[in-house]
Amino acid sequence: MSLEGYLVVGLALFCLGLYAVIAQRNLIAVLIGVELMMNAASLNIMAFNRFSVTDPSTGQVFVLIIIGLAAAEVAIFLSIILNLYRLRRAIDVEQLTGLKG
Amino acid sequence: MLEQNAPFLFAALVLAGGLAAAWARYILYAIIGLGVSLFGVAGLFLLLGSPFVAAMQLLIYIGGITVAIVFAMMLSIAMTVAPAPRNRLKAVFAGVCAIAFGAAVLPLVQAAPFEVQAAAAPLETWPVAGIGHALLTHYNLVFETLSVVLLLAIIGAILIARSGRETAS
Repeated sequence: MSLEGYLVVGLALFCLGLYAVIAQRNLIAVLIGVELMMNAASLNIMAFNRFSVTDPSTGQVFVLIIIGLAAAEVAIFLSIILNLYRLRRAIDVEQLTGLKG
Repeated sequence: MLEQNAPFLFAALVLAGGLAAAWARYILYAIIGLGVSLFGVAGLFLLLGSPFVAAMQLLIYIGGITVAIVFAMMLSIAMTVAPAPRNRLKAVFAGVCAIAFGAAVLPLVQAAPFEVQAAAAPLETWPVAGIGHALLTHYNLVFETLSVVLLLAIIGAILIARSGRETAS
């Protein structure tokens, strides 16, 4: 598969993540959408790393850092979800309107 | 034969899993779709000549993050409760947004003149030692910052998850 093929797969994955972030009602599903978008980004970086970079360890280091940051982000996000559920008994984004004016 | 079809197989896994994750109303199905999609991405990493990063993807994403999301699912809304019905207006809006974004970026991807290396570098020339060397010399600051960020994230997650406990019970 060529570079464009990988980029198109990454773009499609990003669009799926975007759809999930906007359309899903459960906060955990929104988190899953964010993860899909992050994976699309790292897939793109990896494709460029394979096809058009002279030092191939650069992109791998980038993707490792993305994975580490994603792990930190998921830990924070999940603890916020648990706390929200304990306080409000809801993790539906349409019921969490405490900041609505 | 398999060598040539493997990228398309993994790309199909990525897209099928992503579709399931984005479309599912039951959260468990979305998590399973996420796992399938992450597995496909790991396979693509392997085909792109990065077996180490593919292994890390399997270990951290599928072994760690997916399992953590399953735990959060079990600790929050009960599985037996039927999920909220799809908000038709929001789903249509999200679909329009996603398709518009894809349609806007796809011509750019096809039109951009990327310089592509002619010959594929063989796997043996990209050793793990190179990654370790890059992490500990040129990217040392990023590496150390990332470890501090991870430590802070763990402490913060524990604090946030504990904070409501006394008032709730």
